[in-house]
Amino acid sequence: MSKKQPTTLAFRFTPADSAAGEDSNPHAKASTDVEATLEALASHFSDAVEEVIAYAGERTVRVDRARIIDVLTFLKKEQGYTYLADLGGIDRFTEDDRYEIMYNLVNMDQGKRIRVVIRVDEDSMTVPSATAVYKAANWNEREVWDMFGIRFEGHNDLRRMFMPDDFDYHPLRKEFPLLGVPGSLPLPPQTPSGGLTLDPFARAHGSIPPKSFDEPAGEDD
Amino acid sequence: MSIIQKTDFDQTLTFWPRHNEALYRRLESKHAWLEDRHHGDGAPADALHNEMVLNIGPQHPATHGVLRCAVELDGETIQKCVLDIGYLHRGVEKLAESKTYQEFMPYTDRMDYLAPYSNNVAWCLAVEKVAGIEVPERAQWIRMMMSELARISAHLLWMGVGLMDAGAVSVFLWSFQIREDLYSIFDQVTGARLTVSHSRIGGVVSDIDETGMAMIRDFVERFPDVHAGWVKLLNRNRIWIDRNVGIGVLSKDDAIELGLTGPNLRGSGIAHDIRRFEPYLKYEEVDFNIPMREEGDALARYFVRMEEMMESIKIVRQCLEKLDSLKGPIRTDDAKRAYPSKNEVYYSMEGLIHDFMYTDTGVAPPKGGAAYHAIEAPKGELGFYVQSDGTGKPFRVKMNTPSFTNLQGLEHMLEGGLMGDMVILIGTVDPVLGEADK
Repeated sequence: MSKKQPTTLAFRFTPADSAAGEDSNPHAKASTDVEATLEALASHFSDAVEEVIAYAGERTVRVDRARIIDVLTFLKKEQGYTYLADLGGIDRFTEDDRYEIMYNLVNMDQGKRIRVVIRVDEDSMTVPSATAVYKAANWNEREVWDMFGIRFEGHNDLRRMFMPDDFDYHPLRKEFPLLGVPGSLPLPPQTPSGGLTLDPFARAHGSIPPKSFDEPAGEDD
Repeated sequence: MSIIQKTDFDQTLTFWPRHNEALYRRLESKHAWLEDRHHGDGAPADALHNEMVLNIGPQHPATHGVLRCAVELDGETIQKCVLDIGYLHRGVEKLAESKTYQEFMPYTDRMDYLAPYSNNVAWCLAVEKVAGIEVPERAQWIRMMMSELARISAHLLWMGVGLMDAGAVSVFLWSFQIREDLYSIFDQVTGARLTVSHSRIGGVVSDIDETGMAMIRDFVERFPDVHAGWVKLLNRNRIWIDRNVGIGVLSKDDAIELGLTGPNLRGSGIAHDIRRFEPYLKYEEVDFNIPMREEGDALARYFVRMEEMMESIKIVRQCLEKLDSLKGPIRTDDAKRAYPSKNEVYYSMEGLIHDFMYTDTGVAPPKGGAAYHAIEAPKGELGFYVQSDGTGKPFRVKMNTPSFTNLQGLEHMLEGGLMGDMVILIGTVDPVLGEADK
């Protein structure tokens, strides 16, 4: 796959080295300083932790996909991260291991927030479900399935979250066109007895439904 | 015979047959924890023992928007409930990937349309965090004050609509009377009543003038009396208490496990508030309490929200005091990271170029940078995860919206409740579908 070309002007006028540095970020929070948790993770899962990314005072821990349930259970039971604030997918498009799933966990007692990330390859789009550890992951995982087409093994209700089940695409993938796929999602009939509206821009294309007070055309008209 | 066996969805429905079949299949196969509870106790069968599958919404006045509930009833008890959302799905996260950071902000107005100011602030703070932009003091105080007014406005609507659901139509009208004052304030300060779009990356678009300050001062003076009137009417109101007490009970553990946020979480005895948890803007410098209740029922959530309004007034008072003495810029004076002022744009060449460049490309956070910033919106934790690829448009925006999170808890809350309480319970969770459906 070729590298994606940015669509904006090629020169960037914000110098890249003025980045929101590690310690200089004015919005960095004390809650994302999670050194103790990182140490515990490193000692318990030395083989599973693949990378720790630091940015804007936040720590993102990337772990092995196969061990994610162990890591989440450890964080919940041993480290006090009892609250799942967010779970979502990321499409990295041109990179290897195309998809990422992130778990945003909160420790309410100590006031800490950590982000755990796993990578999913395009060839095996199945991930163990976190619903057994955090019930709150239920709808978020359905959303990831809906938007990215990643299946969650062990999820007992993997229907689409927002789009109807009659829809065949996964819209947040980068290759999905912004305008949608014409005809992929029929709209309701324009008259009670009519057929489904397959054209999403029916009115613009000249199909104006009769009003309810309009007399239907007689046979001899 | 079950609805699945009776119905050939492909034959009877032309519109979304697969979706509806999946929904009712889920309802049928869902593990009903109530059956375990009822069948073991040897109680005589209910005289009204008959099972019925009922579909409520998406077009229903009590579902606060386009929420659809498929419920299985046993007499009047809701045995199982499956919520179906997505009828207002616009794909905002997808749209964000094709807009510059500043261009995307008006879309956030239309998410939680009851408190648009909070959404603007949440988005701007997230972008400022990923790009490392500092915000001048005065702008932070303005943002904080207006967000608190937005919280009052959102809670007022919750109160009015919640009481209308319980049958008291007059409170709905009274709450809109005082919301009208808030809308006038927003109109004066931001130039728009509903879709305010007042915050800008690096600050706010315009300073508050004397008229605006006077209007807010007047509102802060008048509101406590109005609030006291409602408290007098409702806190010891037999009908209102009876409708609310002991329904939709969520224990502390359940609330955390289901991931509830905001007043719903605090109504269950967990004092979790992003304003304290990870203080943003100037919340560290103001004095306020976090109302909390232990009971976890609808009444507890009612008390939490009512008290929160008064805490907001307290914060607004402190902001007014501070803004009187604190003068200064309202936007970062760095034209590469925030819009230059209009004076600069009209009277200098550089200003004009910067304005053009900021509209065209905007702020470009470093490649690979990603950050999450959450605020305490009226409905709970509203967070944006923003990932940059070094261009002027975000690579990925993940929104963590409180209504979505809370609705997940509603499904659990409804099971075991009475059909008549359903409307009250939807009101007590206070969902906004514009936000839940993204």
